[in-house]
Amino acid sequence: MAALSELGTPRSGPPAVNAVHETGGPDDALILAAQRGDRAAFGLLYARYSRMVHGILLARVPFSDVDDLVQDVFLQALPRLNALREVSRFPGWLASIARNRATDFHRRTKPIEEFDEQSASAQSDTPAPSANHSSHSSAEAHAVLDAIRSLPDAYREPLILRLVEGMSGTEIAARTGLTHGSVRVNLHRGMQQLREILGRKASPPTGGAL
Amino acid sequence: MTKNPTNPENEKMLNEDYLWDASGTPDPEIQRLESVLADFRHADRALVLPAERPAAPRKFRALLIPMLTLPRLAAAAAILLAASLTLFFFARPKPAPETGPAWDVANLQGAPQIGTKSIAASQAPAKLRVGQTLVTNNDSRASLSEADLGEIRLDPNSRVRLVQTDANRKRIQLDVGTIHAAIWAPPGTFVVDTPSAVAIDLGCSYTLHVSPDGSGELHTTYGWVGFHLHGRDSFIPAGAMCSTRPELGPGIPYFEDATPAFREAVVQFDSSAENSTDRSAALAKILSEARAHDALSLWHLLFRANPAERAQVYARFAMLVPPPKGVTRAGILNLDQSMLDLWWNSLGLGEISTWRFWQQSASPQTSPNTQELLQKKQSVSKP
Repeated sequence: MAALSELGTPRSGPPAVNAVHETGGPDDALILAAQRGDRAAFGLLYARYSRMVHGILLARVPFSDVDDLVQDVFLQALPRLNALREVSRFPGWLASIARNRATDFHRRTKPIEEFDEQSASAQSDTPAPSANHSSHSSAEAHAVLDAIRSLPDAYREPLILRLVEGMSGTEIAARTGLTHGSVRVNLHRGMQQLREILGRKASPPTGGAL
Repeated sequence: MTKNPTNPENEKMLNEDYLWDASGTPDPEIQRLESVLADFRHADRALVLPAERPAAPRKFRALLIPMLTLPRLAAAAAILLAASLTLFFFARPKPAPETGPAWDVANLQGAPQIGTKSIAASQAPAKLRVGQTLVTNNDSRASLSEADLGEIRLDPNSRVRLVQTDANRKRIQLDVGTIHAAIWAPPGTFVVDTPSAVAIDLGCSYTLHVSPDGSGELHTTYGWVGFHLHGRDSFIPAGAMCSTRPELGPGIPYFEDATPAFREAVVQFDSSAENSTDRSAALAKILSEARAHDALSLWHLLFRANPAERAQVYARFAMLVPPPKGVTRAGILNLDQSMLDLWWNSLGLGEISTWRFWQQSASPQTSPNTQELLQKKQSVSKP
């Protein structure tokens, strides 16, 4: 197995690929290059889309399994990339692979474990997330994540992409292939429902536990 | 125009700006959620790809070529000729190879069948061609895929026939069972015929179930789907569901998070005779239980209601979602299509022009396949 660590993360610096890639050109050029077997281009696509895939998976599967499944999604996409005739469909195509992978994951695991995020984290070798934000308990973070996951699919996905992955609405629309209007409506309604679930009023809080 | 931060309406708008792209006045609640959830963020782990397959070593090729000497080639040719003659005389004639476009079929579990032929788990993807049927039994599941379309998974006890596959239209017929469709083809490309309605993908993923009696149920998980029969249309956005029955066609869709009383009332309205007390009671319950989000159902109800009922529906609908500019009460009560379209678009559930385009590009009439299924069920009646 060959690690593309230099390619997979924007922080590591640009890989030795053509100028279109280095200047952050349109995704179409990257997709075409990846279809021609350019692994560096595929690595850049991973860098651009892995947050989106991560968010889609996090909306559906336990956190401890998400990283591995992100890898799976890209490994599934690589050999099938040539079958994609219109590169403009790449975002929706990749998102569908991610959603299908999450569905497969649940078919192969016991239903009781599916969304029991806290027990899944406890049983996993992966430490529960708490390293960077010690002010918030892991239980609190899991409770909020569970609340988002209890929302309809159409809301939980954009909310996770916005609140967890830090993507803007414009970015969510571009990466998932949805219209700006759909993303805006889903974010707004999802946030309203999340507030209701968390038992908070729509007005800004004064702090304290969620 | 400047925004007055003391105005609650402006405050709400500013917070929505922050929700959209973290611009405008920060919303403390959203900031806190971002902070709490930050530990779940993608950690930029490196992608690990399988090693590329190396080319055949030169050494092997260098050994192989001298082995192909003339006497050896002649012997091999003789053996090949003998084998060919044997096959020609003794082998059973085989049917002509199947041709034409086909979809890949993969075995996900058990032994799904194309016609009478089982698909082994270990074999390469089989092909489903136009006219062929894919069947799963109690213990089997299968997936259908086409590069430009998406993937359709069949649950156990399902039967699907491939009806059409060309650049502009991909069509299957679901006789019975459950499919899960994840579609990336342009809206309107993928169509599913069922015994009681036609499902048209409008850019989405969804689950469609057909019971042995021909009734069906569609749940949309992403994007939206159109359900159509004899000019009766239902649009099902993400988070909503819709039932369909052979005698009635698509029912009124509703969001699955609506109150139980609302959902029951919608079902009751759909199944009650016009002017019955059950129907009146159902309508009253729908209108009293409806939230703004349930405008989805109210919009559809405008078409299903009689004129007297429609006036009640309009009043409640307008209270929950004020009609946009250009939409009048008189127009809605007369079912003016352009006004109904405008009001639909204002709900933010999908651009209705996508549907109108499909109606123009495809026959708005029921497809021959659905017609055939309807006749089989002997239950055709225009709503």
